[in-house]
Amino acid sequence: MTIFLQNIISGLETGALYALAALGLVLIFRTSDVINFAQGDIAMFSTFFGYRVFEKYMSYPFAVILALLFAVGLGYILERLFLRKALKLGIINKIIITMGILMIIQGFTVIFYGTEDYYLRKAIEMENFNVAGVIIQPNALFIIFLTLAIVIIFNYLLKNTKFGISIRTTAEDEETARLMGIPVGKVYSRSWMIATALGALAGILVAPKTQVSISMMLDIHLKSFIAAVVGGFSSFFGPVAGGFLIGVADNLVGYYWSLDWKTAIVYGILLITLIIKPAGIFGKVVRKKV
Amino acid sequence: MIKIQSKVIKTIILAIIVIILIGIVPFKTSTITLLSTVLIYGIAAMGYNVLLGYAGQISLGHAAFIGLGAYVSAYATGVMGVPFLFAVLLAGIIPIILGLILGGVALRLEGHYLAIATLGFGVTVQQLFKVLKGFTNGFAGRIAPSASIFGIKIKGVGYLIMLIIITTLLAILIENILNTKTGRALIAMRDSEHAAKAMGIDIVKYKLISFSISAFYAGVAGSLYMHLVKYTQPDVWGTVLSINILAMVVIGGLTSVGGSILGAAFIVLMPHLVSEIPYINTIPSASIIITGIIIVIIIRFMPMGLITFVDRFKRRITHVRS
Repeated sequence: MTIFLQNIISGLETGALYALAALGLVLIFRTSDVINFAQGDIAMFSTFFGYRVFEKYMSYPFAVILALLFAVGLGYILERLFLRKALKLGIINKIIITMGILMIIQGFTVIFYGTEDYYLRKAIEMENFNVAGVIIQPNALFIIFLTLAIVIIFNYLLKNTKFGISIRTTAEDEETARLMGIPVGKVYSRSWMIATALGALAGILVAPKTQVSISMMLDIHLKSFIAAVVGGFSSFFGPVAGGFLIGVADNLVGYYWSLDWKTAIVYGILLITLIIKPAGIFGKVVRKKV
Repeated sequence: MIKIQSKVIKTIILAIIVIILIGIVPFKTSTITLLSTVLIYGIAAMGYNVLLGYAGQISLGHAAFIGLGAYVSAYATGVMGVPFLFAVLLAGIIPIILGLILGGVALRLEGHYLAIATLGFGVTVQQLFKVLKGFTNGFAGRIAPSASIFGIKIKGVGYLIMLIIITTLLAILIENILNTKTGRALIAMRDSEHAAKAMGIDIVKYKLISFSISAFYAGVAGSLYMHLVKYTQPDVWGTVLSINILAMVVIGGLTSVGGSILGAAFIVLMPHLVSEIPYINTIPSASIIITGIIIVIIIRFMPMGLITFVDRFKRRITHVRS
């Protein structure tokens, strides 16, 4: 039982990171119809920036805030520079544009930060708790609760503020949103800014585990796609639930079944889920009219 | 001047000219390998074009098929001692099984759900390459013997010429498939599934056909890659390659067989060309940045791909002549 709980907790911890990244992904997808393949690398680049600031100039909290601001700026620039003009192109063309962005960012990472790995500290460095045999890292708890807080605040803002409503309207139907006088362009750039910040936060939080390196976001990035699909793209709550689900499933399958076959089994579960529920667990199926 | 109408004859003539050129010009060995790589990815891209351009189905896990083809070919020639040409055929046929599975998934999903499901599929198969050590030899990697036809070893320029012949045959084959009922059914399905259904087109059948064709081409490409490089390990067959194949098709031009090869040439050669530019090549990773920028520019200003450029050029020539 203790081992089971232990696995659940570490699953929730990684799941929280998947959820953060997935939320950003879905936000961008829903508002501007872009599947952002560069999300992970934008986060990686911002984390590198945060690491450099932390190491040379500032204390950890300020460095994190600065890194998030950097990600926001990067999101704004990338959207304005590369995707705004490509709005009318098909979804596949936009995927390839984000792939181009990915290459550019990877190239700049090598120029600015080199190819080495660096260690970044945990957000909370405290002694571990021991609750009835289950070892709980304060950092893991922090990550889980931070994610939950962000998701709740995000959903609250989405429901109750003017900006939130404009995001939801744009996500629902861009043309109607325009007709309603919503500055759709602003919604695009803001959702990119929020999404890149969420990604960067996931990057900073995962850094103690993976080291700050050029491939640090690879796993989170892929899993966040899967989380978004499992949860369903049609709500902003689904991908978060999907993230936690994938995180826990990953850990449990890895421990009880087989570490080697973990990835194959988890993706197998994903495919079966999709075949049974093509719009994700929490998604609504939208029937196309002819 | 006699106008050559048949596309088949045009393709064959083009291939013969290219073969003669390669025979005359003394290329460096590295250039020969690079050109061979272009053709191999071109074959994979041609198959992928049937899937994406004609049938309108996206796959972000195409590296899985190429990888499977490579491993099948390596296993067949290296361990079982199957002759080379037969192994190439085998490497094309076995991925079809995998293609039918993915096609089955595609029957239920569409758009971005299909994109990400196939992404997951690609990652899974790559993971299987790591785990199934008996078949793939895991991270140690598997080696393959050189290609040989009827006891004659083929390498270097010979291999390139063989690749040109195979590519030409496969291009003609695909043009022919696409000009028949099958091709028209695929296009109808892409434009509107409901309308196609109403016209009596069997969606299930044609979706599976499109996945099978692309899996076959990918498998053949994998096999040819294997006998060019002669070594492989699971890291090669990841998402990056899948997205590269996608990029080749879109950059070259959807629904154009020639465009696929053009796109492959672009993606394979671009980093090498950029690294030849003086001053810029002193910056590490400049080639990846510039390639990225050029990709964005092409998608932005030539959404129909590089082939439009070629077509426009051709039209201008014929215009001047008349």
